[in-house]
Amino acid sequence: MGTVKRITSWWLVSGIIALATATSAAQTLDGVAIDPDAELVVAVPDDTTNMDPRLGMGSTRSNYIRQVYESLVDVDAQGKPMPGLALSWKPAGDLAWEFTLRRGVTFHNGEAFNADTVLFNLDRMFRKNLDRWGVKDVTASTSFEKVYPTVTRWEKAGEYTVRIHSSEPLPNLWDVIGREPLVPREYAIKNGVEALNERPVGTGPWKMVGWKRNDAMRFERYEGYWGPPPLFKRLRFQVIPEAGGRLAALRAGQVGLVDAVPPLDAGVLGREPGIKVTSSAQKLYCRIYLNARPKDKFDSNGRDGLFIDPRVRLAFNFAVNKEGIVQKIFHGYAQANASPVATVSYGYAAQEPYAYDAKRARALLAEAGWKDAGADGVLKKDGETLTLQLLFPAKHYGQGFDETTPAVGEMLKAVGVQVVIKPVDYGMLIQTVTKGTLPYNGGFTACRTSNNLDADDYLRDWTAITLINWAPYPAELADLYRATRREVDPQKRLKLMADLQRRVRDWAPVVSLYQEAKIFAASARVLRFAPLMDLHMDFRGVALRK
Amino acid sequence: MTRRRDKGAALASLIVLAAVTAAAILAPTLSPADPVKNDLLERLTPPMWNAGGSAAHPLGTDTLGRDVLSRLLYGARVSLVVGFVTVIISGAVGVALGMLGGFYGGWLDDVLMRAGDVQLAFPVLLLGVALLSVLGPGFGNLILVLVVSGWITYARIVRGETLSLKHREFVEAARALGALDGRLIWCHLLPNVWAPIAVVATFSVARTIIAEASLSFLGLGVPAPTPSWGAMLDEGRNYITTGWWLALFPGTAILVVVLVINLIGDWLRDALDPRVERGI
Amino acid sequence: MSSFLLRRLVHGVFVIWGVVTAVFFLVRLTGDPSAFLVDQSATREEIAHVRHLLGLDRPLYEQYAAFLVAAPRGDFGTSIRDKRPAMALVLEHLWPATVELALAAALLSTVLVVPLGIISATHKDRAADHVSRLASLLLQSMPGFWLGLLLILLFAVELRGFLPAYGWGTWRHLILPAVALAAAPLAQNARLVRAGMLEVLQQDYVRTARAKGVPERSILYRHAFKNAAIPFITVTGLSLGFMLSGAIIIETVFAWPGLGRLIVQAVPGRDFPVIQAGVFVFALIFVTLNLAVDLLYAAVDPRVRLS
Repeated sequence: MGTVKRITSWWLVSGIIALATATSAAQTLDGVAIDPDAELVVAVPDDTTNMDPRLGMGSTRSNYIRQVYESLVDVDAQGKPMPGLALSWKPAGDLAWEFTLRRGVTFHNGEAFNADTVLFNLDRMFRKNLDRWGVKDVTASTSFEKVYPTVTRWEKAGEYTVRIHSSEPLPNLWDVIGREPLVPREYAIKNGVEALNERPVGTGPWKMVGWKRNDAMRFERYEGYWGPPPLFKRLRFQVIPEAGGRLAALRAGQVGLVDAVPPLDAGVLGREPGIKVTSSAQKLYCRIYLNARPKDKFDSNGRDGLFIDPRVRLAFNFAVNKEGIVQKIFHGYAQANASPVATVSYGYAAQEPYAYDAKRARALLAEAGWKDAGADGVLKKDGETLTLQLLFPAKHYGQGFDETTPAVGEMLKAVGVQVVIKPVDYGMLIQTVTKGTLPYNGGFTACRTSNNLDADDYLRDWTAITLINWAPYPAELADLYRATRREVDPQKRLKLMADLQRRVRDWAPVVSLYQEAKIFAASARVLRFAPLMDLHMDFRGVALRK
Repeated sequence: MTRRRDKGAALASLIVLAAVTAAAILAPTLSPADPVKNDLLERLTPPMWNAGGSAAHPLGTDTLGRDVLSRLLYGARVSLVVGFVTVIISGAVGVALGMLGGFYGGWLDDVLMRAGDVQLAFPVLLLGVALLSVLGPGFGNLILVLVVSGWITYARIVRGETLSLKHREFVEAARALGALDGRLIWCHLLPNVWAPIAVVATFSVARTIIAEASLSFLGLGVPAPTPSWGAMLDEGRNYITTGWWLALFPGTAILVVVLVINLIGDWLRDALDPRVERGI
Repeated sequence: MSSFLLRRLVHGVFVIWGVVTAVFFLVRLTGDPSAFLVDQSATREEIAHVRHLLGLDRPLYEQYAAFLVAAPRGDFGTSIRDKRPAMALVLEHLWPATVELALAAALLSTVLVVPLGIISATHKDRAADHVSRLASLLLQSMPGFWLGLLLILLFAVELRGFLPAYGWGTWRHLILPAVALAAAPLAQNARLVRAGMLEVLQQDYVRTARAKGVPERSILYRHAFKNAAIPFITVTGLSLGFMLSGAIIIETVFAWPGLGRLIVQAVPGRDFPVIQAGVFVFALIFVTLNLAVDLLYAAVDPRVRLS
C-alpha cells in the first residue's frame, strides 16, 4: 500500500511537473514569455467599406477581408505563391486546371469546406446560376465573366478536387482564380449576401466579433483553424486616419502596431527605444498616364492624343528624376521601376532603368518634331505648344503622391513642357476617364495595385479600352501579349513576358514614377511581425510579450 | 474712457490691416522667392533662426521646397480678395433682394424668406462642399459659393429695416409728393439702412476669411498651386511635429487679420448705432 | 399659441422638404458613383451594369418620386459605399458620436458663459474684464480647426499624450474636440451676456433694489439675469445650430467618427443615399432647435405670440 501510494504520488508529481513544463513551454517564443490571451491593437488609416470579397479588394479592404476569409492560393513573405485552401494546382491538359483542396477545413460556423464551396464561389465570381442558388447579384469590383470570357465551365472531380475548363489555354488561371477569398456556400444561401458583408464567416485564423464603422473592427482567434491557431487571442484594427495620431498612439502605448508610417517619421521612430520599424516593397505602382489614344477612341473633337508618339512619352520618362523622388519625398521607402510590372510579381523581369537625362529627353522631343522653343521655353511644333493638362486626385493616395505630382510638373517644365496641374477630386477623375473626356493634351496621375501574383495582371492594362488604358498596345505588342496568354510552358512564358516587358519599357505607355514601400512600426511587445509583399498583414506566427 | 480706448484699438487695427493689404499688393517685390516653384532639394528647411535655416528662406520652406514667406504674402492676396469681393457681391445682392422684398412684400417677399430659411437649414460647410464638388475648384467658384451662403444675412436685416421704415412719415411724405418707387428706395430707404449693413459687412469679411480657410483646409478652396492660408494649414497639419512652421505662420496670419477686422467691426458698431443688435 | 405652433410646424416641414429636394438634385449633378465600384480595368459595359444595379439609370423624376415615397418611411436607400441602409448608417454616426460632441460643447459654452459674462460685467474695466474680453476676441478670431491643431500640438504632442489626439472612445477623447468646438460660440456668447448684463444693471429697478438693501447676488441672479435671458436663449439656440455646422470640420480634424465626417467623406464618394439621409437629419435637428427657441421665446415674451 505504501508502494501504491508512492507510485501514485510519483505519477501525480511528475504529471504536474510535465503539465507545468508543457504549459510554460507553450507560452514562450524565442525564449521570451508570451501572453496567449493578449489583445493586439493595430492602428490603421482607414476602415473597410465591405467584407464581402466580391464587392472589391483594394489594399485597405484586403487587409480586413483576408483576416477572416482565405483563398486557394496563399502568399509567403517573399510574395511567392504557397498552398492556402488548395494543397496543389496543376494544369490538366492545355485547356483546364485542377485544384486539389485541403481537407479538414471548416468555416467559423462549422460548415465544411469542400469542392462544393469552390463551385459556389466560382458561380458567384462568374455570375452564373445565381437564381438557382437564390443569391443576389452584387456590384462586383471585378466581373470575371467579362475579364476572362474564355473560362467556360467548372466541375468537381471528387470531394476535394475541382477542375476548371477554358476554351483557350490560360496559363495564369491558378492566379486569377486562386487569389479570390472564398465564402461559405450554405451560410450565404441561407442568410443572403448581406450576411457575408455584415457578419462575415470565413475559414481564416480570425473571426470577426465586432465592427463599429469608422472606428474599429474586433477579431478573435478561431480555435478551429486548419493550421496552428494564432498565438494571441484578440486582434483589433483601430481606425486613426491621421498618421500623427497613429504614431502618438504607438508612443503612448495605446496601440501595438502602426500601419502606414510616413517616410519622414520612419527614421526618427527607428531610433526610439522600444519601437521597431519594418518595411516591405508594395505592389502599389504610381504613374502618369498620358493621352495617347487615337482620335476614334475618345471624345477628342477629331484629334489624336497629343502624346501618341512613343518618343515623346519616352522623353518624359528621361526628364523625370525618379531617384530624386525616391530619396527626397520617400526617404528611400520607394523604388523606381522601368518595367510595367511590379517588382514583387511573378514574371517580373528587371529592365534598364530610365536614366535621368534632360538632354536626352530634349533630343528625343526634337526627333519627334518638338524643337522650337518659344520665349517662355515651351516647345512648339507646327504651331502647337507642348502642353500637358495634368489631372491629379489630391488627397486620394497619400502625402507622398500629393507631393510627387507638383515636383514632377517642375521637372517636365525644365525640358520645355508646359504643365498645367489640375487637382480634381477622385470621382471627377474617374468620370473624366470613364467617359473619355480627357483633353487631347491631357494626362492624369494615378496608382495601381494588384490582388494577383502574376505579371499578367499588369501587362493586360493596355489591351482593352478601359479607364486606365490611354495608350493601347500597337498590333505587334498586342500579338506578343496574346502569345503570353496562351503559352503553357512556364519557362517559355516567362521568356515571352520578359520580352514584352522590355518592349513596353521602350514603348513607354506611361511615365512610371515610383513603386511604394509600406512602413510599419511595432512596439517591442510585438514579436515576429514581418510585413508581406502583398496587400494585407499576416498575424499567423505573431505573438505578444507577457 | 472706454470709448477712447476702443478707438485706439480700432485705429491700431486699421493700421495693421492697411499694412497687411500693402504687403499683399507688394507681394511680388517683398517675396524672397517664387511661391509656386518647387525644389525638392530645399524641402522642409526650418525658419532662419533655427539650426539648418537660411536667410534665403526666412520663414523656412514647405514640403515641396517652396518658400513659406512668399506663400504667406501671396496667400494674403487670396484671403483679402476673397473676403472683400465676397462681401461686396453678397452685400449688394442681399441688400437689393432684401429691400425689394421688404418694400413690395407679397410673393416676392415670401419666396425670398422661404429660400433663406431653407438655405439656413443647410450646414454652410456642406453647401460649400457640395457646390464645389459640382463646379470644381476655382477662384470664381469659391467666391460664388461664399456669396450664395452669405447673402441671407444682409437680406434679412435690410428687409426688417425696410419693413419698419416704409411706413414712416418721411417716406409717406415723399410718396405723397409723387416720388417714384425707385427714388424712394434709393434716396430715402437706402441711406437709413447702410449703418447696420456696414457693421454686418465688416464682421462678414472676418467670417468669410475663416470660411475660405476652412474650405481650403478641406481641400476645396483655391486650387493648388496658388497659395492660400487655409491650404497651407492643411499641408502643415501632417507635419505638426517635424515642420511646425508650416502650420504656425499661416494660422497666426489668419488670426491677426480676423482679429483686427473684428476690432474694427466692434468700434464701427459702437460708433454708428449703439442700438444695433449686439452679437451679430 | 396653438395656431402659432401650427404655423411654425408647417413652416418647418416646408424647410426640411426644401433642403432635401435641393440636395437630391444637387448631388446628382456631381456625377455618378458607379465608376467607383469597379476595378480600374473595367469596361464601359461593366460600369453601365453597375449603374443599372444601383438604379441610377432611371429618369430623374422617377428616382425623385421613388425617393419621396420611401423617405417618410425612413427608407433613404442603401449606402453605395457600405451597402447598408443609409439612414441606419447616419444614425449610427449621429448617436452617440456627434450628439456627444455637440452636447459637450454646448454644455461647456453654456455653463461657462454665464459666470464669465457676469464676472466680466460686474468687474467692468478692471483686470478680469480685460483678460476675459481679450480672450473672447482671440477665440472668436481663430478658425476652429486651427485651435484644434494647437490643442493637439499642446496636449497630445508636447505633453506626451496627456490627452489623446485623435479618435473616439473614452471621456478623455472628448475633451479636446469639445473645447475646440465650443471656443468660438463661448467667446461670442460671453460678450453678449456681458453686454446684456451691463445694460440691465444700469436700469432703474436694479438701483432701486440696491437702495432697498437687497443682497448683490440676489440682484444679479434673480433680477438682472432673468431679463438678460431673452437674447441669451436665442443665441444659445442658434449656437447649437452652429455647433452642428462647426462639428463637421472639428470632426475632420480630430478623426471623430461622427455625422459631419460621414457626410464629408460621402460627398467625394458620391454616396447619394448617405448624403441625402445625413442632410435630412441635420436639417431636421436644425429646424427643431429653431422651433424650440421660437417657442421658448414666445413663452417668455408674450409680444412674440401676437405677431
